[in-house]
Formats: sequence, C-alpha cells, structure tokens
Amino acid sequence: MVREVSESCMDSLLTEIVSSYCNRFYANKPELAARRIEAIGYQVGHQLSERYTMERPRFSDHLEAIKFICKDFWSELFKKQIDNLKTNHRGTFVLQDNKFRWLSRMSGDPSMEISGASQDPSAISENKAAQATGMHLYFPCGIIRGALSTLGIPCAVSADISNLPACSFVVRIKV
Amino acid sequence: MIVCIAVVGHQNNPLYIQSFTEADDALKLHHIVHCSLDVVDERVNNPKKSGPMINETFLGLLYPTENYKVYGYLTNTKVKFILVTTDLDVRDADVRNFFRRFHSAYLDAVSNPFHVPGKKITSKTFAERVSTIVKSVSFNTAG
Repeated sequence: MVREVSESCMDSLLTEIVSSYCNRFYANKPELAARRIEAIGYQVGHQLSERYTMERPRFSDHLEAIKFICKDFWSELFKKQIDNLKTNHRGTFVLQDNKFRWLSRMSGDPSMEISGASQDPSAISENKAAQATGMHLYFPCGIIRGALSTLGIPCAVSADISNLPACSFVVRIKV
Repeated sequence: MIVCIAVVGHQNNPLYIQSFTEADDALKLHHIVHCSLDVVDERVNNPKKSGPMINETFLGLLYPTENYKVYGYLTNTKVKFILVTTDLDVRDADVRNFFRRFHSAYLDAVSNPFHVPGKKITSKTFAERVSTIVKSVSFNTAG
C-alpha cells in the first residue's frame, strides 16, 4: 500500500503552524517563534532521514550526504530534485530550488522591497510580506538540519528568498 | 537460536537491549554486546579494501566466542544493531534478512512522535514486534 499525503493539507498545516506560533504563542518574540518552528522541522527531518536512508549504503563523505538530500530526500518530500547545488569546498553548500513547493502558493513579491522607496506605505507592507514568507522557511530549514545531523553532520541552515517561488538554502557544516 | 539483540545509539549509548534466553544471565550477554562495539568501530574506521560492499550497512560476523556468534549492522544514522546467536552454522543471507526486518521495526518505533530521539526505546509494540521476528527466525540450516 502506498501512503500518500494530501498536498493542500500539508500547505494548510504549515501556514497554520506559522501563524499560530507568530501571532498567538509568541506574538511579540519572532525569534523565539522561529526557533520553535525550526525545532519542529528538526524532528521531522530527523525521522524522515532515518527512514529514507534505510536501503542505501553508508555515506563516505559530506558531499555524498548533501547529494542525497538534493536528490532522493527532496524527491520524496517535494517530488522534484534541488535545481542547483553550489559549494565552496570548505563546508558551505547552497541548495537552490527554482520552484519551492511550499512557496509556490505564496502571494506578494519580496524582491519589490528593494526597488520601492522605503517611505511609502506599500514598501512597508512588502517588507512585512517578506518577513512572513521568511517565517515559512524555518520549517524546511529545520528539516534539512535535522536530516543532516542525523547522518552525523552537524550544521547550520539558513534560507534566502531571491524571487518567489525560488529560494535557496545555505548549509554551513560545523567543523 | 537468537539469545540477545541490542540497539546502540551513535554515541554508543544503549537504546534497547533484550535477551531471549533463560540459561545465561543477562549480564554476560550485555558484556558481549559491549565488547562488540569496539569491533564495529574497527570495521568502520579500517574498512577492508576488497569488494564493492565497502560501506554496506551489514557488517557481517563481528567475532565468534566459544558459545556465540556476534553479528553487527550499522545504519546510515550511526545506529548499531548487535545480534548474538548460539547457532553455529549460519548463512549471511539469513542474518541480512533478519536485520532488514529488525531495521524496519526500529524505524517504526523511532518514527513515533512520542519517542524522544537518543532515549531508550520503551514502546511495547516494538518489543512485541522484535520478539515475533526473533521467534520466526531460525538460522540453523539443519532445522
């Protein structure tokens, strides 16, 4: 039996997690809300990587583990692979997804905030939209960090929105 | 007959250990499991250059003692499974198959949202499933 997850349910759940933590539990402390959302993602990533690596041989180096995240892990989660992987060969990897599924339904374009003058009200609302979008990326960041930590690679993950729905995740491996 | 099965975490912390025999005291089996951890480390750090199975999860026979054979398995997530058996004539394929079934039982146990990662596995369902697997397996080709 193939188990499936409804995509719209997943989208709604993520939106609801973010809005609960940002507007109800930690309304005045966005950093704390971000940390909690990231922690939920961490546990999800931890358990998923445990499952998805069952049938494969052990990874010999970091690059192989990152490739696994880009290909198999991403395909299991989002039915597509990471579009672009860059590295400086010193422990920093940039994973770029040109159409990140959890941002594809998001409206508002955060790249506008740079071009708009900072004084007019539309620019402020754009800035808010960018913040809200950023909040939705703590969960996938946590998933990546959880998956890599479980594979024995402690790291820090941050996300970067260039122009919706593309986004990139920056993985810094701790040495 | 399988006399003991253990799950050991990535910092060599015991996650689950269960013996299936009345004859030997549990402490002796725990000791055997403990000793095998060094062999696992040795296998992982100095892999044999021969063969394509260099990073395989199944580590094979770790070491034989007078009465027992000890087998090991290391997952991608650095969790070790140790199996102690009294059977002398064991086929690798059978052990491999056992570990595969044990691994999926373990996966289901740690995927429980109430399980705290890195803590001992206390799930009754897991214990039952493990004893079912252990009972259903007999390695001896003779019977």
